[in-house]
Amino acid sequence: MSFLLECPNCGVREVTDFGFGGEVSARPKQRPSFRELNTYNYFRRNVAGVQREWWFHRSGCRAWFIAERDTTTNEVKFTALPADAPGSDPSGESARVAVESGGDLL
Amino acid sequence: MNLDFLSAGAAAADGAVARSPMEAKARAAGARFDIRDGWNVAHAFAEGAEEEARAATRTAGWADVSHLGKLELQGPPDQLDRIASECGAELRLGEASRAGEAWWCRLTTTRALVVCEARVTDALRAQLADASAGAEQVTLTEVTTNFAAMTLVGPGAREVFARFCALDLRPAVTPVRALRPGSIARQPGILIREAEDRYLFLFGWATGEYVWSAVADAGEHLGGRPIGIDALSALPGPARAEETLSA
Amino acid sequence: MSRLGQQPGERITRTKKVSFSFDGKKVEAYEGDTIASALYAAGRRTFSRSFKYHRRRGLMCVAGQCPNCICAVDGAPGARACTEPAREGMQVTHVNALPSLEFDAMRVTDIAGGPFTPPGFYYKTFIRPRRLWPLYEKILRNAAGLGKLRHSQPEREWRTEYRRRHADVLVTGGGIAGLQAALAAARLGADVVLADEGPEPGGQQLVEGAPQRVRELAEHVREAGVEILSGASALGYFDGLVPVWQGDTLHQVRARHHVFATGTIEQPLVFAGNDLPGVMLSGGARRLAALYAVSPGRRAVIATTSDRGLHAAAALRDAGVEIAAVADLRPDAGELGRQLRAAGVPVFAGHTVIEAKGSKTVQSAVIAPVEALGADGIRDEHSFECDLVAVSGGAIPASSLPLQAGAQSAYDPALGHFALGALPDGLSAAGEVTGAGSDESVAVSGELAGLRAAHALGLGTDESRARLERLEQAPAQPVDVVVAPAVSGEGRGKCFACFCEDVTSKDVHLSIAEGYDSIELSKRYTTVTMGPCQGRMCQLPSVRLMAQETGQSLQEVGTTTARPPWVSVPMGILGGRPIEPAKRSAIHNRHRELGATIKWAGDWRRAYDYGDPAGEALAVNQAAGLIDVSTLGKLIVRGPDAGDFLDRLYPNRFSNLKPGRIRYGVISSDAGRIVDDGTICRIDDETFYVTTTSSGAGAVEEWFSWWLADWGQRVSLTDVTQGLGAVNLAGPKAREIMAAVCDIDCSNEAFAYLDGKQARIAGVQCLILRIGFVGEVGYEIHFPSAYGEHIWDALVEAGTPHGLRPFGLEPQRILRLQKMHILVGQDTDSESTPFAAAMPWIVKLDKEQDFIGKWALEHYSQQPPAAALVGFTMANGDVPTEGAVVVDEAGTPAGQVTSSRHSPVLGRTIGMAWVPEALAHDGATITISDEGRTLSAEIQTKPFYDPDGEVLRS
Repeated sequence: MSFLLECPNCGVREVTDFGFGGEVSARPKQRPSFRELNTYNYFRRNVAGVQREWWFHRSGCRAWFIAERDTTTNEVKFTALPADAPGSDPSGESARVAVESGGDLL
Repeated sequence: MNLDFLSAGAAAADGAVARSPMEAKARAAGARFDIRDGWNVAHAFAEGAEEEARAATRTAGWADVSHLGKLELQGPPDQLDRIASECGAELRLGEASRAGEAWWCRLTTTRALVVCEARVTDALRAQLADASAGAEQVTLTEVTTNFAAMTLVGPGAREVFARFCALDLRPAVTPVRALRPGSIARQPGILIREAEDRYLFLFGWATGEYVWSAVADAGEHLGGRPIGIDALSALPGPARAEETLSA
Repeated sequence: MSRLGQQPGERITRTKKVSFSFDGKKVEAYEGDTIASALYAAGRRTFSRSFKYHRRRGLMCVAGQCPNCICAVDGAPGARACTEPAREGMQVTHVNALPSLEFDAMRVTDIAGGPFTPPGFYYKTFIRPRRLWPLYEKILRNAAGLGKLRHSQPEREWRTEYRRRHADVLVTGGGIAGLQAALAAARLGADVVLADEGPEPGGQQLVEGAPQRVRELAEHVREAGVEILSGASALGYFDGLVPVWQGDTLHQVRARHHVFATGTIEQPLVFAGNDLPGVMLSGGARRLAALYAVSPGRRAVIATTSDRGLHAAAALRDAGVEIAAVADLRPDAGELGRQLRAAGVPVFAGHTVIEAKGSKTVQSAVIAPVEALGADGIRDEHSFECDLVAVSGGAIPASSLPLQAGAQSAYDPALGHFALGALPDGLSAAGEVTGAGSDESVAVSGELAGLRAAHALGLGTDESRARLERLEQAPAQPVDVVVAPAVSGEGRGKCFACFCEDVTSKDVHLSIAEGYDSIELSKRYTTVTMGPCQGRMCQLPSVRLMAQETGQSLQEVGTTTARPPWVSVPMGILGGRPIEPAKRSAIHNRHRELGATIKWAGDWRRAYDYGDPAGEALAVNQAAGLIDVSTLGKLIVRGPDAGDFLDRLYPNRFSNLKPGRIRYGVISSDAGRIVDDGTICRIDDETFYVTTTSSGAGAVEEWFSWWLADWGQRVSLTDVTQGLGAVNLAGPKAREIMAAVCDIDCSNEAFAYLDGKQARIAGVQCLILRIGFVGEVGYEIHFPSAYGEHIWDALVEAGTPHGLRPFGLEPQRILRLQKMHILVGQDTDSESTPFAAAMPWIVKLDKEQDFIGKWALEHYSQQPPAAALVGFTMANGDVPTEGAVVVDEAGTPAGQVTSSRHSPVLGRTIGMAWVPEALAHDGATITISDEGRTLSAEIQTKPFYDPDGEVLRS
């Protein structure tokens, strides 16, 4: 892996500048059942294709942001701060709950 | 209680001298030290400032400037803009502005770092504290000793960086005053292109010895040498950027 | 040195001589010579012994493509004699032959071992008896291989460099196409780097074209500002980043656009004896003559599948080589064939070479009509005496890099090879690699690629766009080739498909018969394409053999995956400079001066001990000790919501902590598992000072800011881990020492356990936390890193009269174990919950707001944990290894020792272990199985030292 990623604050950097925070998933809003809790904690969709991910600019501004990336080609569709990510909760409260099918797991 | 214990300047009294993490490395390379603004600084090497400046103009030179003051502001974007503007500065992502003997660096929309000459740290901190007093959610933190710092100068500076840094420093991509947070020598860093052939970069205090080794290893192989801050101030520097801004 | 007369493009400088040694004998050369050209001029024909059969091998490609001339230079193996410049005084030695190149005892594997050394022979032969494998392995390692590394480490080291280079365009390949592409892009203002494998740009033109013209072109390219890297191989393509190896430097070139002008690789033919010294690629023979003025032979037979061999015949004839015969596989040798015939050269159309004969070198070659191949007997074969067989079996595109970049390739029946298909955006190919044939179409495709790259970068003019349109109309001029047979002359001798690994056509047949009938399987079984040539010489022949044997089309057989590196590269080049990032505390030099044992602790260099860990621990219990704990993670959490933020991150409560007080906290994940721990001191209403473990500092900051990014509370975070140094002063005398250096009242009444205060020590403003990780009255002092030595010196000076000793990490581990204070990651793992780790008191399930881990912890609070973390002691002096297994009555593993030490103050062994819940009570006995020893220990659930914390609070 040596693709480039654009930090919304700092600009384009080597991917080695960043920390990977995994795919965006939804934290339950209310007390989940134990099964739902385990699904949330341990299951990932792991798609071969475009997924929404958390990234952290570890070597730069040290801010978290959202990226949409094709996991098969490493093509990055966009990067944005959580509040600015297209399709995010318009209230800007939680980028985590905005995944299309993330809710399917719960 | 307050956070005075974070402030290198405010903390010092009774002749306590502040020391850079690169002091031992500079001493081993032949540095001469002098106490300035409470800091033990490597102001020159055996050859003297003139010769050091000449050498740096030929190839590359690096100076320990860890004593530069660093102040962090966090808060809502409009508040940060207001405070900067009251101090005659601007905060923009990707570009540092120079005002009041300081570089004003916006790292994120809500976080800024002000890097200033050591002699103005305390005054600037007081000024920023006044400007942010009463503003809800604005926090001011002195982080002088969070970051060690080095200035790399000379026509060979970019080639020296190329040995340990993946940042694209070509003039078209990184013009003068460009602000580039990113990995330097495999450590988190913040780089400012202060002038044509002059780069200031910040890195973690605890990595000082390591970064000095990495820079010296690359730089000496390319014919560069360490220089003192006396030589540094004789070379074209950030002052010019300040003039440009005010003009 | 026998040399030809002046050649128009020769690279040697005849006025400058250099000499070197080969296997101890002096060799004369000219400046500009390679090792191989000088040796060839001196009459050497055998350059190496083959990998398995130890057959003689001579020069074949003379371009660094094949494995035949691999040698060792000044003791370092892996050099290719045909590209390595001759330098004064260098010592060159052969590899893989014992005792010498001319007499190799291992030749027996060829003569006798042939039938016994099929593919996979060592799996088949050396599996029994198994205990002899170490011996077999040693023998096999000696018999095969490409040289030996030097023995001592200093001899293996040399300075290598990384160099990052950003560019607008990287052109790989410096032939006409690459040069034209670079020139076109650079003239429009692009920042261009050109990487070329040759010692000078020009590519094939230097040998088979117009050397003077291409050298002039290269000069224009340089003048246009292109950085030309010569002798530089592009190793691979990694998402736009191309590492280019040049001498001691690895250029990491990151370009926005890439032009692959990598050219083609001339292919050998597979026939009996095709590896005899004297059998050479036509390009190799011409390189010897044209660049080094060395005659490749006196009398040559030429076998070709295209005009290239005919051009070679003409050129070699001009260089004074007698052409005995030309076998052209095509039914009609065309205009060039007629010209050659008119000049008296016998040209056999529709013929190919089926055998090369000779003992040490080629002595004769046999050609036959192509339609006779495969028939029972071969009619009309002709034998010619010769000392050179120059073959040209077509050329394959050097498409490894574009394939790695995402291009596809498909078999092109007209070209007889796998041709490069469309490339992803931002990439283009130019020149022969695209199938361009004539010099003109190669140049045009190069210029097109350069213009397109510049236009895509937003550069370009009306003129350049018009030029692009005009060039796009230029008709393609493909090459006229016929497809070479998979093998000819099989049955007359070994026909090598792969020279690196000594794989013959029969070996490929055999592997298919044994079921390895796909190209990827056959590759792994026979190792064809896995040698130093990386498939350059053998990929296409092995695919052809596979297709012939299985009846599949070549498209169906396909090719093996193109992988980096493109050339064999020394590990040191990939490794870069041996400078490892390290963090050091501001007091580090004091530890050095005190003779501390410095060890890695995460990415920090830390004082492990000062030579006497037991004595240092005892000093803390009996007088006072001072430890550098600057590595602790330190975070300032500030804002109106700071208390609420921490309440949501920790299972316990911080919003009700009073300013100036300290509370211990354990961070748990949403799965209820322990992630990190530390203390939190409230500075004022809106400000908390959070410490974390040393190794968890970075992760905790990321964890905090991740949740903050989501929750969006009015909180600011500042990581001051490196900004503040910290020391812990602890022991019965600690208070007296503090009183001497500190400007505040340090009595227990004024400064109680778990109080945090700001005070000056030796003039420096510090934050002082009264906590007790090591179990004695202790003050953890935090101060700006710039005063590290100042504070340390002041405390040592004040403490020494009281018996204060510096102590390191190891004594601290003893001391904290005496108190059963856990180390996250040592005593806990990714499965440990606070309940199981005996800290149920830290989980406040009655907290009104949601917190990370709440739901899981609610669940676990109802479930008795299966295992519990407890202490144990041993009276007999044994100290079990950390990681030793706790076993039940049946001897089945039931737990694990996580920490164990001898406690100097208690005079016995203490430790912590995970044990079954049923055994987690005072006085229970557990059995520990430790590397063959069986030990017995007694469980203790309360701290070993000061169990009720009276000392700590005093």
